[in-house]
Amino acid sequence: MPVVTEISQGGQKLTISIKGRFDFAKHQEFRESYENLQPKPESFEVNLKDATYLDSSALGMLLLLRDHAGGENAEITLTNANADVRKILAISNFEQIFDVA
Amino acid sequence: MADTHLDRDVLSALQEVMEDEYPILLDTFLADAEERLVLLHKTGDAQQLMNAAHSFKGSSSNMGAVRLAELCHELEQRAKDKNLSGVEKLVGEIDGEFAIVRPLYEAERQRALPTKASVQRF
Amino acid sequence: MQSPLESLTILIAEDSAADRMLLSSIVRRQGHEVLTAANGAEAVEAFRQQRPQLVLMDAMMPVMDGFEAAQQIKELAGETLVPIIFLTSLTESEALARCLEAGGDDFLAKPYNQVILAAKIKAMDRLRRLQATVLQQRDQIARHHHYLLNEQRVAKAVFDKVAHSGCLSAPNIRYLQSPYALFNGDLLLAAFTPAGDMHVLLGDFTGHGLPAAVGAMPLAEVFYGMTAKGYGLSEILREMNAKLKRILPVDMFCCATLLCLSFQRRSVEVWNGGMPDGYLHSIASGERTPLKARHLPLGVLSPQTFDDRTDVLPMSVDDRVFLLSDGVIDTCDANEQLFGVERLQQVFAANRQPDALFAEIEQALRDFRGEARDDVSMVEVSLLEAAQVSPPALVYSDSGQSSPLDWSVSFEFRAATLKRFNPLPYLLQLLLEVHGLRAQSGALYTVLAELYSNALEHGVLGLDSGLKRDATGFTRYYQLRNTRLDELRDGFVRVHLQVAPTGEGGCLTIRVEDSGKGFDVERVMQRPAAGVRLSGRGVGLIRQLSRNASWSDDGRSARVEFFWEAQA
Repeated sequence: MPVVTEISQGGQKLTISIKGRFDFAKHQEFRESYENLQPKPESFEVNLKDATYLDSSALGMLLLLRDHAGGENAEITLTNANADVRKILAISNFEQIFDVA
Repeated sequence: MADTHLDRDVLSALQEVMEDEYPILLDTFLADAEERLVLLHKTGDAQQLMNAAHSFKGSSSNMGAVRLAELCHELEQRAKDKNLSGVEKLVGEIDGEFAIVRPLYEAERQRALPTKASVQRF
Repeated sequence: MQSPLESLTILIAEDSAADRMLLSSIVRRQGHEVLTAANGAEAVEAFRQQRPQLVLMDAMMPVMDGFEAAQQIKELAGETLVPIIFLTSLTESEALARCLEAGGDDFLAKPYNQVILAAKIKAMDRLRRLQATVLQQRDQIARHHHYLLNEQRVAKAVFDKVAHSGCLSAPNIRYLQSPYALFNGDLLLAAFTPAGDMHVLLGDFTGHGLPAAVGAMPLAEVFYGMTAKGYGLSEILREMNAKLKRILPVDMFCCATLLCLSFQRRSVEVWNGGMPDGYLHSIASGERTPLKARHLPLGVLSPQTFDDRTDVLPMSVDDRVFLLSDGVIDTCDANEQLFGVERLQQVFAANRQPDALFAEIEQALRDFRGEARDDVSMVEVSLLEAAQVSPPALVYSDSGQSSPLDWSVSFEFRAATLKRFNPLPYLLQLLLEVHGLRAQSGALYTVLAELYSNALEHGVLGLDSGLKRDATGFTRYYQLRNTRLDELRDGFVRVHLQVAPTGEGGCLTIRVEDSGKGFDVERVMQRPAAGVRLSGRGVGLIRQLSRNASWSDDGRSARVEFFWEAQA
């Protein structure tokens, strides 16, 4: 199940879309989708519209992205999460460190 | 029905493989074949007949006796189908075919010997 | 570049003497060793004794046919692949299928074709060697697996030594944990504070195996070390978070729920970072209050942004706090349906005997899934009467020769310090340098804590302990405490400690003063000692645990004494 990326004109914003289960199997793909971009985008969006499920390794991957994107100053939005995914984000309180739209 | 009773190419291939043991192979086959023929005549059981014919077919084809192998195949099929009427005639044909190829093998055996003899002369 | 075929030992089972002779020559010419057999039984025996690597098997043979012999040879070969090539002039597919069923790997038709035979032998040998490699690698993997299991056993043994300083076997704790919990990342710790309160931690590290276990050890050390010294939950949380943030990779973290149960104050303090809801079960009302995760897991936020604020709820004797790991909620049945929170609530609702709740949940999980999962952790803690609880004696590492016997010290903690510093662990450590006081460390800590919190909360912050008379008021009290502490600009708490020898033993005098408005000492003294009361300045407690307790300066100054006899 793929990880699809889309970069805005000028390379300012990177949108990463996750299809299916967001779990450890996607680890390498996810990292590769943002790690080597030059110049580094200023903001990131993780589109969870087709993501069916999120586990703790997915939360870890989001933390890695956040670290790459500047840590506390990172601009990352998580969008279109379904009810189940939202619940996981709520219990872990990741909404406190990511914008959830 | 094939014209050739004995495939010469097979024989030369055999000789090449067996080298000095070629005559022994021929002897062994001939001895084997005689035993088989006895069995074919003796048995009335369809299963046994089928197995014996099958076996004879195998070694005949290995030894290049093409027509002999075909006849055995036919006998095998008949015995398998349990169609034993007129089977004595077929066995008779097999007898006949063997009678033809046997001297051919013996001649082959003689032909092979001089090589050995010429070696001995040295 | 093909490597030359190594010389194999090949068994030829063929009843026709001529064919057998021919085939042997062909195979020998191809560079192999030959064994011969004239029937199936001979073939099996030859195999058993000589273990050839490949077999050429005639299908039709007397005594035992090729099919039977092939089956027996395959059985004798076991895991090793011994290719069997059937020699046959069978053409019907049914007969050929029978060869395969009997364990044949390939066929060679008569008349024998040398080229084809050589090719087949080569192909079969390749397969044979492949199988041998597979088995070798499998054995290697099995060996490595055993090493890993052993390493984990060792790691667990080390961890158990670290963890055993806890009190999970206390009578008020019931728990369920898989023996491999550590390697699922599940952590359960419990320890008494010097005052006799109990700290409990239920944690869940991301990941599995050694990485998860390795994070657990420093966490446990912090938990036990700081709890023993009398630190509060907030300080311990800050330290644990900072440690994990520092040592763990970015994508690892630890979800955790921490509890502090205070038997004396009849309260439970809670912090939940990313764990499923815990539940506070009030036996009297039957109500279950969910303890929701309001925080991020440990190891995610930097020390500057970490939120160590806890919630405090009233708790009566026999009330229970129930915590569980997500292994419970995430238990799946055959259709991948989750057990879920609703089913858990149903078990709660159906429960009549509080003591049976644990077993009922376990049963419900088993019924749902059909088998137990190995990463389910649950713990239930109840509040016991203080008398039933016996904290273990503190262990000291010095020899007892250098005890300070005649000294005094004064501290003044002002607003900025009161906001962010808890002086109690430090003061206690200081006092425990006096060996004579060590036997009373529990009482000492409790009294100090009581005096300090009175001075801070009622004195400096002006909070009315009357607020704590019911559950709502309780919550409001602690919210107000946090707000006022955040906004504090002025005020102080002074602590004076004096140790002096008296005869063979000694005397400790503690005086605590605050900058607050004071209180009506007379009135509080006259109030009868109530049985179960959430409020009341702990005056009764102070008088019970120390000697000559007195208040002056309109209640702004408190004074107590502790005595000890000569050490044996």
